[in-house]
Amino acid sequence: MDVVLPAALREYARGAGTVQGKGRTLAAVLADLDARFPGLRQRVLEDTGTVRQYVNVFLNGDHVEEPDPARVRVKDGDTVHILPSVAGG
Amino acid sequence: MAAIPKGSTVVLVGTRKGLYVFHSRDRKRWRSAGRFFDGLPVHHALYVPDERTAYAAVNSTHWGATVQRSRTLTKWVRGKEGPAYAKATGWSVAKVWNVRASPAEPGVLYAGVEPAGLFRSEDDGDSWELIDALTKHPTRPKWSPGNGGLCLHTILPDPKNPKRMIVGISAVGVFATEDGGGTWRTLNRGMRAEWFPKEKPEIGYCPHKLARDGEDPSVVYQQHHGGVFRWDDRADRWVDISRGLPSKFGFALAAGADGGSAYVVPLRGDFDRTTLGEMAVYRTRSAGRSWQRLTAGLPKPAHLTILREGLGADGQDPLGVYVATEQGQVFFTRDGGDRWDLVAENLPPAMSVTASPFP
Repeated sequence: MDVVLPAALREYARGAGTVQGKGRTLAAVLADLDARFPGLRQRVLEDTGTVRQYVNVFLNGDHVEEPDPARVRVKDGDTVHILPSVAGG
Repeated sequence: MAAIPKGSTVVLVGTRKGLYVFHSRDRKRWRSAGRFFDGLPVHHALYVPDERTAYAAVNSTHWGATVQRSRTLTKWVRGKEGPAYAKATGWSVAKVWNVRASPAEPGVLYAGVEPAGLFRSEDDGDSWELIDALTKHPTRPKWSPGNGGLCLHTILPDPKNPKRMIVGISAVGVFATEDGGGTWRTLNRGMRAEWFPKEKPEIGYCPHKLARDGEDPSVVYQQHHGGVFRWDDRADRWVDISRGLPSKFGFALAAGADGGSAYVVPLRGDFDRTTLGEMAVYRTRSAGRSWQRLTAGLPKPAHLTILREGLGADGQDPLGVYVATEQGQVFFTRDGGDRWDLVAENLPPAMSVTASPFP
């Protein structure tokens, strides 16, 4: 599946804006990416394994509300967007 | 970007919006080597001459904490993994507050983080191991954050004995190890904690910054929430050395290269946290027995805030001392404090300043 990275994380993927990930859950996809792009998972997830407070994940355009990526099922053909939340007011 | 000439003095200023690097051959005229990590908070950055490497604690609100390194100070490399707690702890590293090389352990790097913990790296910051005896200390369940967060902000390795280290944790206190981090004891005897009804709690003190004496590493200076103190191993207690200062409150502290020499910037405490009408640095050359007020070249009137990493010394003779303010100025002296001038102004709010030779 396609995983679309924000500008801030593209340095981890040698500049690529979209990378290919494998797995049946979001956690597995992030682990797969981390094996090829070390450190990437740590930017998206807290040490506790949940999605960081100011990071939003979208699956096929829908915001993923579930904070535990191991509980987010994904499949081939899906598109995952990782985005920073808007910080402002 | 032009290379920094060897033989320069370098000044690293961590701000809420990036790292600024300055250099000078004569410590009179300063040149900018650039801004790095644009927009990201840099809580601490330093150049370690023995390692020929600089390290920076870069903390993104969105993407978490990283430690980055540079040989040249103009091109930075991110460590592969930032310090991280094990999932089972239930904690997550929010910020790296302090990075420190250990003079007695070449190639070893320490990082102090929030929530309070101490990490060690043996591969230049590519991977980190938690020194878990500290976070398993029996007092840990009682650690609670102050206004600055539950941060381990000071790491003082013994320059000669790699088994000995002191760390400072905001709103908790000071801890020491003498077995390389295997066991830790509190080091708060003689401290005050006026905010507790119990006279001598084991923890709950509020060290803001600590530094070892330039000649005798068994002597440690501490800017505490409620005073400036000196630790002496022989006395086995903290001694209040605030007498002669206009306020007991302040955040920053730096030790000079000579024995008995230290610098602080008293602030109006403890809810105002600005300089007392004008910018003044205080220097002791007698381990706190007396203080000299240093104002030549510093602004007046001035209501400035200097945070815990806002004072640095370059270790040279005569001593260069540097003060970075939350209002974006960086002051320096190259004569131990008798005369001050500006390295830079109009920077983002500064959180840290360090200086060292660039051999």
